[in-house]
Amino acid sequence: MNIQFKKGALELCVLALLDKQDRYGYELVQKISDQIAISEGSVYPLLRRLKKEQYFTTYLQESTEGPSRKYYQLTNKGREHLHELMEEWQHFTNGVNQIIKEGVKHE
Amino acid sequence: MNKNEFLNKLDKSLNRLPYEERKDIIQDFQEHFEIGKTENKSEKEIVSALGSPNQIAKEILANYYLEKIETTSSTKNIFSAIWAVIGLGFFNLVIVAGPLIAIAAIILSGWVAGGAFTISPLLFLINIIIFPGQFNYLDLFSSIALTGIGLLLIIGMYYVTYWSQKGFIQYLKFNVRMVKGGLKHD
Repeated sequence: MNIQFKKGALELCVLALLDKQDRYGYELVQKISDQIAISEGSVYPLLRRLKKEQYFTTYLQESTEGPSRKYYQLTNKGREHLHELMEEWQHFTNGVNQIIKEGVKHE
Repeated sequence: MNKNEFLNKLDKSLNRLPYEERKDIIQDFQEHFEIGKTENKSEKEIVSALGSPNQIAKEILANYYLEKIETTSSTKNIFSAIWAVIGLGFFNLVIVAGPLIAIAAIILSGWVAGGAFTISPLLFLINIIIFPGQFNYLDLFSSIALTGIGLLLIIGMYYVTYWSQKGFIQYLKFNVRMVKGGLKHD
């Protein structure tokens, strides 16, 4: 898939993963790359940008194995943004699906 | 490439960032490596999944400069931001550079004209000193009138410059958003 296209969707993925629970960076990266082929490193610049836009806050937590982990926690502002993006995404994919259906059927 | 090579490359590409910020970024990736290792992944595997450190640095720098010009929009910061955004590869140099140069030239000429008008009595004085025989009141009064116009022009140019700068920053951000932000359908 087009790389620019994916980047737009990545923001939505990150916010959606944080809706129900706080997660650490590595976890977010793995969850996304399990589903979508991405350069894993590009998630970190995105996380920094979204944090600066105050969509989430971070805190450090000790882990039983390995180093302490930086957890990301969605703010109210972030949750609002997530819902906006979800709506846009729905709208967009519905449109594309409709076009595919019509285009391919009436050949 | 192993972990250290990756982190060194990333750190080098980020050398224009403040130390604290850079440290924080490196820390994030260090954590990524550590956790990856507890899942029995080799450094090589982790590095190849992360992708190019240069590309990661470019994205961080573009975000950094765009944020910086919002707080202090000096000419230097604006140019840094332009270069950083061009570096990301989704900023059309040709389409942007033409209008940008034209607008900059108009703004510059406005300032020059304002400055020249304002100091015109000085030119009048110099003229009198060099050619004392050529004194006339029309020249004197018109040069004083020009000073007034020049001062107004300078005040006007101040606002024109301010607002074009604002507009251009918005335009730069729009370029980044278009790709990195949400999927706008409106």
